[in-house]
Amino acid sequence: MIDRRGDDGEIGALVTDRYLDSLLAGAALDDPGAFEPPGLDGIGAAVRAVSRRLATDLPRFHPSFRFEERLALRLAELAASLRLPLAAGGEGQPISLAAARPPGDAANLAAEPDAADDWPPNRPLLIGGAVAASAISLAGAWLAWRRRAASPMARAVRAAHARGAGPEA
Amino acid sequence: MYSYAYYELGNHHAAEDATEATFVAALSNLDGFEERARPADGEGASTFRVWLFQIARNEVAAERRRARRRPTAPLEAALTIADPLDVQAEAERHDDARVAWQAVGRLPEDRRQAIVMRFVDELSTAEIAGVLGRSEGAVRVLIHRALRAIARDLTRRA
Repeated sequence: MIDRRGDDGEIGALVTDRYLDSLLAGAALDDPGAFEPPGLDGIGAAVRAVSRRLATDLPRFHPSFRFEERLALRLAELAASLRLPLAAGGEGQPISLAAARPPGDAANLAAEPDAADDWPPNRPLLIGGAVAASAISLAGAWLAWRRRAASPMARAVRAAHARGAGPEA
Repeated sequence: MYSYAYYELGNHHAAEDATEATFVAALSNLDGFEERARPADGEGASTFRVWLFQIARNEVAAERRRARRRPTAPLEAALTIADPLDVQAEAERHDDARVAWQAVGRLPEDRRQAIVMRFVDELSTAEIAGVLGRSEGAVRVLIHRALRAIARDLTRRA
């Protein structure tokens, strides 16, 4: 018989899931006592502690920039060979990060106005096999933490997909 | 994507190969992508990331099969590379990261994948369910039990 109400059952899992949503959104980590969604009393202290530990200690890995350049080149060649329709925004020219920001203004890079990029401030980041704190590899950190890039990308893909499925395709 | 591949494969070269294969496969099969997000899911909602992770999961499995024929370095090796700053706080942080990863690495494959996708790639439970081909409820229970197992593991080894 499946225990649906016990701490290890579906109810407990649902409460944990809500806690993880709040934790990963950053609210609980900034001030543990300040924000606790209602109904989380049942979550065990051990699960709560290990969740916070994983959220802060598990590093995110970033490939080397050389690899990224090589992959971008290969994908560009592949896209050209496939004759894919131009995606939304694809008519522009890419600009380098350095050109897009005031020279020497690393503080601006760290102060990227994307709120999601600010959390957690010191999570380990490893780039291409080398350990680096976010403070000493701002460009890499900025690239690694631009979480919201997924939505525009998805929109671009949908746009390209929609054009490809049109009557002229 | 690279991070997910690296957690699964524990080798930078293998992770790069899997990442490249994922994006090449995705681009080559873009016509096969079917948007399953509904207007009720909110503006900008898309299942594209789920689709991409499904491809990545397959490529990681293929890379793992290929890797069986050649030696690989453990993931922990990357975490012991000297930090240029080499200060005490960074050393402790890396140690914490290693301990956390070791605990995650001892989980069964499905639990490990779910934990990495939830905490590192920050996928939602619904997205993980889409990648793993399970119900949201099953994924919630999977993650909940994985966390309890890690907590027991860390307590036992403390």
